[in-house]
Amino acid sequence: MQYRYILFAFLIFFSLISSGDAYQPTEEVQICLNCHNDKSLSTTFKSGERLSLFVDDHSLRDSVHSELSCSNCHSDFSVETHPQRAFKTARSYKVSASKLCTNCHAPNKGIHAKMLNAVKVLVCTDCHGAHSVKKPTKENSCISCHRFSLSMTFADGKSISIHIDEADIQKSVHSKLRCYDCHFGFSAEEHPERKFKTRRNITLLNSEGCRRCHFDKYTKTLESIHYDILSQGNLNAPVCVDCHGGHSIFSGRKEKLLNARRCERCHSKIYEAYSQSVHGSALVSEHNQDVPVCSDCHRAHDIIDPRTVDFRNMTPGMCGNCHANEELMSKYGLSTAVLKSYLEDFHGVTVTFYRKQKNAVRHIAVCTDCHGIHDITKTKGSDSAVLKSKLLSRCQKCHPNAAENFPDAWLSHYEPTFKRAPLVYAINLIYKIFIPFMLIGLILQILLHIWRYAVNR
Amino acid sequence: MQLTGKRRLDMIKGHERYFKRFGLYRILEHQANALAFLVLTVTGLAQKFHTSGWAEWIVLSLGGIDTVRVIHRTTGFIFVIFLFEHISVAAYGLLFRRWDPSIIIHKKDFTDVIDNLKYYFGITDSPARCNRYDYKQKFEYWGVVVGGMLMIVTGLTLWFPTELFRLLPFLPGQIIPAAKAAHSNEALLAILVIVTWHIYNSIFSPEVFPLDTTIFTGKISEERIIHEHPLEYERITGIKLTHTPAKDKDNQSDTLQ
Repeated sequence: MQYRYILFAFLIFFSLISSGDAYQPTEEVQICLNCHNDKSLSTTFKSGERLSLFVDDHSLRDSVHSELSCSNCHSDFSVETHPQRAFKTARSYKVSASKLCTNCHAPNKGIHAKMLNAVKVLVCTDCHGAHSVKKPTKENSCISCHRFSLSMTFADGKSISIHIDEADIQKSVHSKLRCYDCHFGFSAEEHPERKFKTRRNITLLNSEGCRRCHFDKYTKTLESIHYDILSQGNLNAPVCVDCHGGHSIFSGRKEKLLNARRCERCHSKIYEAYSQSVHGSALVSEHNQDVPVCSDCHRAHDIIDPRTVDFRNMTPGMCGNCHANEELMSKYGLSTAVLKSYLEDFHGVTVTFYRKQKNAVRHIAVCTDCHGIHDITKTKGSDSAVLKSKLLSRCQKCHPNAAENFPDAWLSHYEPTFKRAPLVYAINLIYKIFIPFMLIGLILQILLHIWRYAVNR
Repeated sequence: MQLTGKRRLDMIKGHERYFKRFGLYRILEHQANALAFLVLTVTGLAQKFHTSGWAEWIVLSLGGIDTVRVIHRTTGFIFVIFLFEHISVAAYGLLFRRWDPSIIIHKKDFTDVIDNLKYYFGITDSPARCNRYDYKQKFEYWGVVVGGMLMIVTGLTLWFPTELFRLLPFLPGQIIPAAKAAHSNEALLAILVIVTWHIYNSIFSPEVFPLDTTIFTGKISEERIIHEHPLEYERITGIKLTHTPAKDKDNQSDTLQ
């Protein structure tokens, strides 16, 4: 038991020694603090702004400048002198006070040198603090400056805000990443100066950074029509950040509506048609997550030109992804026979083979030719009459001679039942009975013939 | 003693006699039709069973679905010509050259079926006695002619759907899927009949095995004509083949097989 008391006494002794070592304010500091540790101490500027003159003893102690005296920075002041000065605003006081930092810290190159020239925008203390000056840590070094409304000017004269909203980053799927994971070359120590002609150039450059982690998606985009347009010299073609956002990146899979609205930025007319379609209206008004958005059909990264025959021929498969899905369709009372009935028809057979042939150039009717592309309507209720009335003109696109009853040749995805198509039903039924009847009869005759021959031998 | 068929056959052994059955025209006609039928079968089945692997292989090997359709339709068109030509020749022969309409179906053909069935079941001792064409051959012939006409009508409907409605606007739209159903079902029926019945009768039947060469050489042996077309034999030679009464069981070995 006695050891414990001895140990306790030692602990108290050492803690007294160590606390004494850490902070020993100079005499001057102690004199200044005599007045400035009063929380109610303040001054009023001409503008009417009030500035507290309270100096926190603790923040001074934790600061990297803890060994300095007050007059090292506030050079006009000393134990003896305390001049009366007048500033218009709190800001003009801060600007003036910050100039003193350059006495010791005078960078002549890099981002700090540039900022000193434009000192009114941002002064040292804005980022580093005044009495609590600390070394910038890796975690907060970027945001400590970029949380201010800084701007950046390009060679073309236009400027953009480089202010970063921390809340945006917290919401982003990349909230765990650090700035320099995407912004190469920058770090707590390094902040190279870069010159860009236009804002677009910096966007294009930043998008290149995504491939470091998302290489699969990046390579897919190289096959997309957007990349084709970009490589032809149109710098407005969308790149990663145009669709996904920069600092507020969201998951396109979870936020289907947001996903579609990104496409709307460039494809506004298509979005308008889509938002009124059976799919789009369900998404917009009911937030239905079962309906397809742009990327479900056009794909997200390897978006191919939808005007190509290849894309056309992929259509039945695309629609079939959902419309042949029993579980999904039963939710809405829709038939899954639509795909099968199409694929068994003349058009479906042709398209299926065209997909395997690779040399097909003809356009064959696919789902969208009758149902519409972005303006797909319901096939039941009042819309069905509209669909039906348009059918003849749709047929005539490929069959210019089609007469009025020609569209009826298509049984509208229905199985030929006795009610729907009695003639087709009857023919199928007759052969269903007649073929086996005939075949069994003939085979029996053959067997009898062989049997008789064998008996007679 | 009566001269039975069996004895008659014994007598002519050694110096086999042949009867002319088909001319060159009929031989070529059969071969051409067989070839057209084969091409139509291959290209048609590949379309009917388009989802299966072998069908896909055929279509892709022939250069794609469009090529297959062109081949099928062209051959179909040739088949139309063959049928038209066949009917024209038949009409000409019947009207101007007084051909014997031996292929026409008679009441006797139906009784022949029953007679043959009785023979197969052992109820009677001898098969039906047939003329130039027996009921099996007539069945196949009329199957091809009537079935062929059906195939042509439905095939043209599928080939020219828009023109059909321009020509006959009163037709319901349903006629197209109906024509498709009829065309593909009838085709399947025809193919199944050919591969079972026709192939059996001309290759695997013990009476002709390994091959009935008549359609290649145009000749039929006396043995076979007596056996298969006794009435024609009698008509040509004037020899009356005697028919063994069925009741005598002991005489069974003497009957014509």
